[in-house]
Amino acid sequence: MILEFGGSVSPASGYTLVVCEKPDAAQRVAEALSDGNAQGSAFEGVKIFRFTSQGEDFVICSAQGHVYAISDPFDERTVYPIFDVEWYPSNLVEEKNLNAARRIKAIRRLAEGATKFVNACDLDPEGETIGFNVLRYACGDKEAEALRAKFSTLTRDDVVAAFKQARPQAGQGPARAGRARHLIDFVWGVNLSRVLSQSALSSGHRYRTISMGRVQGPTLAFLAEREIEIRECVPLPFWKVSGTFGKNGTQFIAGYSNEKVRSKVVAEKVRDDCTGREGFVVSVARNVAQVPPPPSFSTGDLQKEAYRAFRFSPSQTLQVAERLYLNAVISYPRTNSQRLPPSINYRAILQGLQRLDRYSRLAGDLLGGALNPSQGSKVDPAHPAIHPTGELPRRSLGPPEAAVFDLIVRRFLAAFGPSARRELVTVRISVGEHDFVLSGGRTLHQGWIGSYGRYAGIGDKCVPSVAEGDSLRVVRVDVREHFDKGPPRYNQSSILEKMERENIGTKATRAEIISTLVERGYVEGGSMEVTSLGLAVIEAMEKYAPAILTTKLTRKIEERIEEVEGEARADAELVRETVRSIAEQLVGLRANENVVGREIDAALPGTVAASHVLGPCPVCKSGQLRMIRSRSTKKRFVGCSNYSLGCRASAPLPQRGTVETTPKACSDCSWPVIRIMGGRTPWKLCVNPKCPTKRQKKKP
Amino acid sequence: MKCKLCNREAILDLCRYHEGAKQRVIAGYRTWVKAYGEMEWKDYLDKVKRNEQTGQWAKEIAEMLEGIQND
Repeated sequence: MILEFGGSVSPASGYTLVVCEKPDAAQRVAEALSDGNAQGSAFEGVKIFRFTSQGEDFVICSAQGHVYAISDPFDERTVYPIFDVEWYPSNLVEEKNLNAARRIKAIRRLAEGATKFVNACDLDPEGETIGFNVLRYACGDKEAEALRAKFSTLTRDDVVAAFKQARPQAGQGPARAGRARHLIDFVWGVNLSRVLSQSALSSGHRYRTISMGRVQGPTLAFLAEREIEIRECVPLPFWKVSGTFGKNGTQFIAGYSNEKVRSKVVAEKVRDDCTGREGFVVSVARNVAQVPPPPSFSTGDLQKEAYRAFRFSPSQTLQVAERLYLNAVISYPRTNSQRLPPSINYRAILQGLQRLDRYSRLAGDLLGGALNPSQGSKVDPAHPAIHPTGELPRRSLGPPEAAVFDLIVRRFLAAFGPSARRELVTVRISVGEHDFVLSGGRTLHQGWIGSYGRYAGIGDKCVPSVAEGDSLRVVRVDVREHFDKGPPRYNQSSILEKMERENIGTKATRAEIISTLVERGYVEGGSMEVTSLGLAVIEAMEKYAPAILTTKLTRKIEERIEEVEGEARADAELVRETVRSIAEQLVGLRANENVVGREIDAALPGTVAASHVLGPCPVCKSGQLRMIRSRSTKKRFVGCSNYSLGCRASAPLPQRGTVETTPKACSDCSWPVIRIMGGRTPWKLCVNPKCPTKRQKKKP
Repeated sequence: MKCKLCNREAILDLCRYHEGAKQRVIAGYRTWVKAYGEMEWKDYLDKVKRNEQTGQWAKEIAEMLEGIQND
């Protein structure tokens, strides 16, 4: 029976109040518990669901992510150090979060009539924190008595089972750990960011936000270390020797056994020694290798694979996966696990997938045999690896959702497939004293590759049919000059992998931290190229608060947070210990506030963002050409500081990339030469649009 | 003192980054001579400067050293 009520009339008392994390999740939970009969109604401007199930009255409400946030009583960016912080309604902390006040008010009124509380927020540190805060602050200290419903998918069966097994949480370890993490990260971030921003201000420039979070620091340090290697790189030459061999009218190419010959003389000697000679097949080695199926995705695995397959950033992938979860078509996407327990019911999921045309045959084939999925080494006590639920999408999926869904389903199907069998062939050819090698491979039995399709990225490379002892004609020997490539820049996927390997950040926060580095202007988004500002901040931190940049401190804190989660350590003790560490690091920075600002500034003069001065004006000879942003068009251009005195020197600027000054003036027109940073190769440009060099280039 | 190539704080006349790049350019010469059999210093600088794989700071150093050579 459905009991609806609308407007702001309070429901009758004596019901079970279920708190979900998001409105979509609330709707799914309501549908599952009410057998699809729940209909939403408005209460205090917030959508809730009320129904009776098996004699129990339920009211399902939801937060909207974090409706409580940490702040300090001053909330004044010039004040630091800040160690006295507290949880406040989010709308008081973040002006944009107007929904929080409405939701808190609604939940508070609903709590008055409730006799039983169930926390049905996501089962991860964020969900634990959200649920705990709502139950403590909005419901009035109900966090200890509330039951915890734990589920990994929003399917009916999982939700119903979770509510049957819901129990109170004794020590609240996961929630305390989540709250401690928020508190530590806030204290860390607010103090370091305020000291850095204040130091920039005290060096005589306008206020700018220079932030430095607990995981952000070490991550930026990884990127900066690689950036320095790339920018200092002097490539070393090497030569590749390849032989073209002929047999019975067919030709094929084999590489010299030493893939990189470091001496031009040696490479040319190989060519001279082999040209016109006869070669012999010394050996043909054939090995058949079993390639086992990959396990299902953890969060990090999915983010890396989606980047490789679709170039989706880690945060984009997580957002898309979150939508698929709320649509009940995949399991909870924030998990460290690479394992699929039998309790998820493999057979039912495959039967569900059979109803989708594109997976029907693949799922059907698997259902004909025993179901033993490939299991990875990573585990997560809260959730299994990401997998499809077998439910059909209720609405058509948008292109990114369809892409990520297909990837997850195919990976799931692949995990149940048999190993693939590959034949790897290595042919060794001898020409006098020199050896050449030809390698190839082909798939003998597709196994799981058939399910994973194009995502497997395994192709065939055929090797010509030759046998040991065959004589071959040396048609040609080529020598080609190459240079070692500099170390590759991290991309959004490889930096995420590095963070995972170094065990900093969490599956839920890593993607966001990478995005913050881009937003702060420390890193250019596409190429992950560290900007002058990013390098300057790293330099200052290395000098005055080096521990902030090391993984040691932040990893130690992660370990302690895990101890709080397992209830082996008190959260208050962890927070005290961490605050002490932060205070120690602040001493060096605070004592040198003015110096730090000047040093960051000094490291920036190349960046126009800091000074906006490109160089002396060659027209009036007394002003300075500056980069200016038009108030009307928002486009940047060059203008003279003596504009008010009549100098009309101006020029357009490229609208993309970071502009850096160079010490040079154009040799033809004396206007400043700038460097545009963007993409892998920076380029130089004389800012004068009428520069003679440009006119010359335009002539055919 | 400021770096003569980028205005960052300098150790002598170069900042720590350009100084690091300078050491790499100088060390690279010995490897290049060994690789090619023989090579003039100015040819080396020219090739380093034009090479796509050369890092930005190493290129600026090569240009600077080339300028010194020409003077």
